[in-house]
Amino acid sequence: MEYDLPSDFDIIVVGTGMVESIVAAAASRIGKRVLHIDSNHYYGGLWASFNLDSINKIGEDGHTQEVVESNTENELIYSVGNNAFNLLVHSQTWNIPESNPEKDVDESDSNSVQQEYKWTQEKLLKISRKFNIDLAPKLHFAKGDFVELLISSNIARYSEFRSVSRILTWLNGTLELVPCSRSDVFSSNRVSVIEKRMLMKLLTSCVDGDENEFKGYENKTFQTYLKDRKLTENLIHYVLYAIAMCKDDTLCLEGVERTKRFLGSLGRFGKTPFLYSMYGSGEITQAFCRLSAVFGGIYALNQPLNGFIYDNDNNFKGLICGKQRINAKHLVMSLEKLPKDVVDFSTTEYISRAIFITDKSIMEDEKEHLTLLLFPPIDEKTSCVILELGSLTGTCPKGLYIVHMFTKQTVNPEEDLNHCVNKLFHKSERESNSPPIILWSLYFSVPNTFAQDVKCKKLLNTYVCPGPDLDLDYDPAIQKAKEIFESIYSNSDFLPRAPDPEEIIIEGEDNNNIINDREDEGHGDVNPEVAQPNNTA
Amino acid sequence: MATRKKVLLKVIILGDSGVGKTSLMNQYVNKKFSNQYKATIGADFLTKEVIVDDRIVTLQIWDTAGQERFQSLGVAFYRGADCCVLVFDVTAPNTFKSLDSWRDEFLIQASPREPTDFPFVLLGNKVDLEPRAISTKRAQQWCLSKNNIPYFETSAKEALNVEQAFQSIARNALTQQSQSVDLYNEFPDQIKLTNTTNRNSNGDSCAC
Repeated sequence: MEYDLPSDFDIIVVGTGMVESIVAAAASRIGKRVLHIDSNHYYGGLWASFNLDSINKIGEDGHTQEVVESNTENELIYSVGNNAFNLLVHSQTWNIPESNPEKDVDESDSNSVQQEYKWTQEKLLKISRKFNIDLAPKLHFAKGDFVELLISSNIARYSEFRSVSRILTWLNGTLELVPCSRSDVFSSNRVSVIEKRMLMKLLTSCVDGDENEFKGYENKTFQTYLKDRKLTENLIHYVLYAIAMCKDDTLCLEGVERTKRFLGSLGRFGKTPFLYSMYGSGEITQAFCRLSAVFGGIYALNQPLNGFIYDNDNNFKGLICGKQRINAKHLVMSLEKLPKDVVDFSTTEYISRAIFITDKSIMEDEKEHLTLLLFPPIDEKTSCVILELGSLTGTCPKGLYIVHMFTKQTVNPEEDLNHCVNKLFHKSERESNSPPIILWSLYFSVPNTFAQDVKCKKLLNTYVCPGPDLDLDYDPAIQKAKEIFESIYSNSDFLPRAPDPEEIIIEGEDNNNIINDREDEGHGDVNPEVAQPNNTA
Repeated sequence: MATRKKVLLKVIILGDSGVGKTSLMNQYVNKKFSNQYKATIGADFLTKEVIVDDRIVTLQIWDTAGQERFQSLGVAFYRGADCCVLVFDVTAPNTFKSLDSWRDEFLIQASPREPTDFPFVLLGNKVDLEPRAISTKRAQQWCLSKNNIPYFETSAKEALNVEQAFQSIARNALTQQSQSVDLYNEFPDQIKLTNTTNRNSNGDSCAC
């Protein structure tokens, strides 16, 4: 390493997943001295996106690193990392040949015409970097907490998005377009005129309905409510499984809330309520890290993490990084970095995930779509979320699609998802009108640690960040990051609006302040704390 | 596209810590210089309108925000760059030696469509300082070996050649963009979540 890291910080954040990155950004933003460090050479941890070459290697590297120093009289050194929360690769398969055979120039062999494969492993790996494959794909409600936070904190300038262009569901054995906006409902030929009126009336009462509308439904399911409203089977399906994304046993009021969340985000950025981050969800953690860096956070990837230092009362003191000792008041870390000897809980719930590269869309159209397919619970399986991304998202080359599937794990990823896979895809080449072919697949499970209490009570001044969750958006991650931030800096603003680049003046020689907010221009909300000493901790 | 869109060019500045990346962009955009910032704090990206061949273009110049210091620039930083400016310190030989790895890093991370034609510009900064370690000739030879990269010797402190260098950067970036946009228009209808704009600016919102 060319430089040594500074040796004293207010807060060290270990791991660059979503929750950690939000906390790092929020702390830098109020002027704290932040070290954000990761043993990986990439950003994002379990929330990262990978190119095709590197995603084929996930699950290969272990997480624990050796302790280099032994305990002293006054301090305890804990090792970094545990294997209790690892991503588990179930299977990784190519369904295409490694390469096309060399062209045979021998004339005598001309009767055996060699088949030229359109896609081979060699071809795809050659353009490996055209793929950005998410470990934790996320969609964003156009008026959801995440989008609002990005705008209010001014982090939005680091990201670009595309809107999901259609929402599909599986109904009566085929894929159906879900009418989700007013214009969709009225232009749909799948919904009769009477149904149109019923649906509009229902959606309106979900959004505007007073308490009386749902009186008596406190302990009943949303499905019951929809049935009582005399909706047809098809409409119940659309509302329950697609718009509200509910299960059969979801309670009425939760179903109403979920319907509101969906409808409230309509009409802001596109036909559907959802946005997807260009180049993959892994870009988002980097946007928060960039803001943190702009506000003085020190970034160091690919670092040897050789131990956490605690005093005899289990107060966090610092971190051993290679030969360096780095002191700080607080430690925030991702779950998989917890010392293995203090982990007194294990994962109780997993998310089953599958990722495919396919050769065409599950529902072809004149233009390329970004598709969300909400697969309802059928055949005694739980509902699945399926996301199909084309080349316009910057996550795969032209002519190919990336398909993400996930659901709550009950058996294992293949068992949990195969009923959808078999209905939507083929695994080998067929007729031209046949479903898409899966060229490459990856099945894996990730621990769903949001569902449990991940506090590490033994270690003080130490905050643990859970890994990816089942929510479509980042709401739980933002909530968790905010909780951690507020328990450390209780009286500070959480990610107030960052000044625009033009508002930051990098001062001249005669001034000691590096950042000088331009207050005379009426930007009253520009944070005055930036250059102040910190003592809220 | 029939009408010419307003042109926004993304320029990123790379080079070792302390070569003057932030100073150069600050001198160019704000006409200010400071000896103060050892490591970059608060520098994000700066924008400036310039005229290139009678066209008004907006240069958006992205600083590394200090993330280069421990080789921790994420791939997101490199997305969509139209020109890459490489900077070294003419009094510090190590910063010159790093140029190859910065260029390689850019080509890997940004993976531009035409790596051999992608516009780089090299700046040898701090020519106001003595002693000089890297001669003009040596820098020019390096540029020649890399498909003839334009080279400027600058002093952010004395505002020497900074304007000229960025004019060339703008011109090179524009060439890159006009080629790629006309040929591919790779990602149309992207959405920026800024407060004021694009309530109606995306192609998918047509409700007809």
